[in-house]
Amino acid sequence: MVEHVGSTNPECVLDIRGLTKSFGTNVVLDGVSLTVERGKTVCLLGPSGSGKSTLLRCVNFLEKPDQGSIYLSGRRIGMREGGVIPMSTSELAQARARIGMVFQHFNLWPHLTVLQNLIEAPIHVQRRSRDEVVAEAEMLLERVGLTDKKDVFPNRLSGGQKQRVGIARALAMKPELLLFDEPTSALDPELVGEVVAVMKTLAEGGSTMLVVTHEMGFARETANEVVLMDGGRVVEKGQPSEFFTNPKTDRARQFLQRYVSA
Amino acid sequence: MTRDFGVVWEHADRLVEGLLNTIILTLVGASLALLIGSLVAILLMSSSRPVRLISQGIVDLMRCIPFLMLAYLAYYGLPSLGLNLDNWTAGLFAIVVYNTAYMAEIMRSIWIGLGRESIEAATAFGFRGPRLYTRIIFPQIFLAASPMIGNQLIQIIKDTAFLTIIAVPELTHAASSIQSQYFVPFAAFIAAVLIYWALCMLVEAGVFVVERLAEVRR
Amino acid sequence: MTTAAFLSLLQGAGVTLVLSGAGIALGVPLGLLLGLIRWGRVPVLSPIVMVYVSLLRSTPAVTLCLLIFFAIPTMGIDIGPWTASVLTLGLNTAAFNCEIWRSGLNNFSPDQLEAARSFGMTPALRFRRIIFPQLWRACLPGLVNEMTLLIKSSPAIAVVGVVEITRAATRIGAQTYDPLPPMLVATGIYIVLIVVFVGLQRLTERLYGQAGAAA
Repeated sequence: MVEHVGSTNPECVLDIRGLTKSFGTNVVLDGVSLTVERGKTVCLLGPSGSGKSTLLRCVNFLEKPDQGSIYLSGRRIGMREGGVIPMSTSELAQARARIGMVFQHFNLWPHLTVLQNLIEAPIHVQRRSRDEVVAEAEMLLERVGLTDKKDVFPNRLSGGQKQRVGIARALAMKPELLLFDEPTSALDPELVGEVVAVMKTLAEGGSTMLVVTHEMGFARETANEVVLMDGGRVVEKGQPSEFFTNPKTDRARQFLQRYVSA
Repeated sequence: MTRDFGVVWEHADRLVEGLLNTIILTLVGASLALLIGSLVAILLMSSSRPVRLISQGIVDLMRCIPFLMLAYLAYYGLPSLGLNLDNWTAGLFAIVVYNTAYMAEIMRSIWIGLGRESIEAATAFGFRGPRLYTRIIFPQIFLAASPMIGNQLIQIIKDTAFLTIIAVPELTHAASSIQSQYFVPFAAFIAAVLIYWALCMLVEAGVFVVERLAEVRR
Repeated sequence: MTTAAFLSLLQGAGVTLVLSGAGIALGVPLGLLLGLIRWGRVPVLSPIVMVYVSLLRSTPAVTLCLLIFFAIPTMGIDIGPWTASVLTLGLNTAAFNCEIWRSGLNNFSPDQLEAARSFGMTPALRFRRIIFPQLWRACLPGLVNEMTLLIKSSPAIAVVGVVEITRAATRIGAQTYDPLPPMLVATGIYIVLIVVFVGLQRLTERLYGQAGAAA
């Protein structure tokens, strides 16, 4: 197989090609290919166990894929150019710092205040100047509506507030790509709205986002493209207007019946 | 009896000097043990099974040895290997070696209970190596471990009294010397006991404060 | 190291075990008594016990041993190094055992006591028939752990001249001008003793569940 060097499309921020991943004998990803263009929002849908979260975790190598390649703005992730030699841990750390991740369980650092959570990695990983980072972080907190919580520790926040901090923390890294791993699944239903609202403004503001979610409303209204996964494969992709009203595959129809009418 | 305490009071400077030695030995010993113990804890949590087994074996073995035995080994035994330490340094050496094992075990026990989430987030944000430990992992461990570290600190304060046996001029040694010179055993040792009590309560107060800090950071 | 030297180390181990055993025999029941006083909130006595426990838990065994050995004779009571040693170990461990017993008592479900009371059992009978048979099982792992700690602090009694393991080792070292071998053998003896006790603790934990108290 010929190793592609970079992507042909310069607008392509994320380019995943033929990704496979197994845990033991259990094939979780079975040749998944996917692209996300600059400024676009792609929603990954699918029943639980379909491999969505694993795919997301492979993108920043929290899980190591077995085969396939991932390009971030044309640069290979996880492997050095040529695709044979794995990246060193420091190269991998640098690559990860270009991708923002928002976790299902927030994964905030409990020993740091809200503001400290935001500035921690920009200062200590990206080595940016403290003054600049703090000023930006304060702006981000304003954007997610948490300016008054900046000196509070995470365990004093509601789930929705925690997740908004989680999003602001990812944004503070000025990432080329934002990954959302079921960002509203751990929230009480009444708190989902505030997080979805923040994600919408991000999407409309031109952030490049790959979102694993069960929030069909968000996918329908905000995504530029939806991708349905099942059994470790991409079953269908398309415009949300197409996908939700006129799905092409039986699998997609079944999925929509179960998740959208419910 | 009052006269006896008067005698001890006249020589309070000796007790203060002994107390200072006790405090310095405890603080320096505990700090070094905490520092080296942190490194050992990394070995205890290693992903490599042989590293884990060997380090755990050494830590468990160390915790089977009485502190005085270790102090003797440092003071009388090390010269046989060509390493001559004066009694003060030998005492400190014993405190550090002995407590490194305990501190490492304390940190391991907290570490395994630490949520994977915050460490995973750190990895995803590009943290690795020493900075992952110093910025994310150990601050959380130290906060959660403060009651256990406090208990260990009290244990160290009490263990320093053993060092009177190798003539380290700590608090019990000072009380001992006052008693043998003026024969005021009750007053001299009760004074020492009360000072130890105050010292331990001070540690407990410190733990209380740190625990309040830790509570909001959980 | 000669056989004679090894035998005198074993003799030291015997002394350590006998005096530790006597300290345990004194400290475990005394601890239960203190624990009951605290649990029952006995007026006057309960605060005194609280102070006793706090004080003893911060007192080094060495200092306590010196205090007992030198101060009690000034009150006109004749006391030898062995008695002083047993008192030191016993009084010290009693303070820790008090907390173990007390925590076991605090974990005791009030429903059972209520039931026993409703059957007209006297307090003494309630304790003997209902509480104690369950209590000692819950407390045993904690108590055995405390025994391990007692053995580790037992070298303190060397300070009043009792020839236990560590003192036997230094003696041999002084005679032979080669202190390292007897020290290493003595360390080995301690390791064997402690490993036996830790094994015992694991066994009691398996038999009677988790330790009743944080040790």
